[in-house]
Amino acid sequence: MRVKLTLALSDRPGILLKALEQIALNGGNIISIIHRRDSITSGYVPVSINVEFPDSASLERAKRGIEASGIPVIEAETLEKAICTILLIGAVKIEDLLRKVHELGSRVAEVSMTGGLTSPCIKAVIEAPSEKLGTLLASLESFAEEQGALLITEW
Amino acid sequence: MKRIMLRCIIVGYGFLGKRLAKLIASGAVRGVKLVGIASSKGYIYKEDGFLPSDLPDDLRSSSMLRPAPASELIDKRIADLLVELTPTNIRDGEPGLSHIKLALEQGMDVVTANKGPIALAYEELMGLAEERGAMLLHEATVGGGIPLISLKNRCLAADELLSIKGILNGTTNYILSRMHFEEMTLDLALREAQMLGIAERDPTLDLEGVDTALKLVILANSLMNMGKRLSDVKIKGITGITSEAIAAAKESGMTIKLIGIADEDGLRVAPKLVRLNDPICVHGTLNAVSFNFRILGRLTIIGEGAGESTVSALINDIHEVMKTRMRSNRI
Repeated sequence: MRVKLTLALSDRPGILLKALEQIALNGGNIISIIHRRDSITSGYVPVSINVEFPDSASLERAKRGIEASGIPVIEAETLEKAICTILLIGAVKIEDLLRKVHELGSRVAEVSMTGGLTSPCIKAVIEAPSEKLGTLLASLESFAEEQGALLITEW
Repeated sequence: MKRIMLRCIIVGYGFLGKRLAKLIASGAVRGVKLVGIASSKGYIYKEDGFLPSDLPDDLRSSSMLRPAPASELIDKRIADLLVELTPTNIRDGEPGLSHIKLALEQGMDVVTANKGPIALAYEELMGLAEERGAMLLHEATVGGGIPLISLKNRCLAADELLSIKGILNGTTNYILSRMHFEEMTLDLALREAQMLGIAERDPTLDLEGVDTALKLVILANSLMNMGKRLSDVKIKGITGITSEAIAAAKESGMTIKLIGIADEDGLRVAPKLVRLNDPICVHGTLNAVSFNFRILGRLTIIGEGAGESTVSALINDIHEVMKTRMRSNRI
């Protein structure tokens, strides 16, 4: 899994190496490093590291190791996206669906509605971080139930 | 060489019972003789075995009829094997459950197509069979003639089954297929299925996903040892599926199918979007099941899930009973 780690490094020599050691120890393969020394804030330098980890467990171990070295992990964003088509049968407002998906950290890549007022059906293509897809679909299931609609997802 | 004969009684004389009785009486199932038949009207028996000419269309028209319950026939101890084919009752599994228990208690082997007892009391019945040294085979309860249970338990016993996903109900698959290909409404497709005898007059159990859930429980318990009950299955049926939803799926190269799923997250039945080029995407009354094995990976098997093909599952289970009895010198 590919992840973008954003770290806040104190502006001291050798501190980046400590973070990289933790990534390597946990099987991470570094793709790129952006070290923004021109953006020092309160003595910290933001660094973005794109890393390929074998799985989410190794990412979690690396995060814990980096933090144990005294380096705050600001964000760990999964760069791989899962794409899933859904149907919502029932009277659901498109804007409510868009809001719900956005709240859950994902986005609607395509959306269309058919059936007019008599037999409404929304079709949406949703893009979500891979590891969040299961939670997203479970939340959409509850959302559909609240709206009195039937959610159909890919099998 | 000693000539051996497995003595069999059939309880339940409907479509399957009549087809099976005819096959056995005509000698098409080698080494098996039919010595008794029971229905809700009573029973008939003939210890030296029925011939095809002995078989009535309706037991009531037979001069041999004894108007007594099937349990009396089972209790006569004239057979080695009970084939239990009474209709499925999802409330308490009766009368099939009592028939199966009675036979197993006497050490008789049992072959059945009755989903009720197997879905509701699998562990109890298997425990009883083991205790009495008898066999209880139920391939015909799921997927008609498709060898699902024997495929895992006999051909792939050493591999671990991680998940089961499948189209297990021919009636709903027929309705959804007609909605997909002919742009019919669900009501119209259902009426057509009823006219063709594919759907029952009261199709509730099929449409609401309960029949699929029963079959899923049977597969999960017998292939994955999940110890589940019908009440453990999260069930959504197809009654809310509209023509608009099917058309929207079709536009994206997909369709909607009623899928039963058993995996580490439990058991569920729901309409799902399936890609038209997925091997599981079969149409009409066909069933399809995709197994995911730890070593083998994905294996999909397709076939007719009801009707005549179910007789094939029954005779193969009877053959398995024969083989096992011969090996253990129980005949």
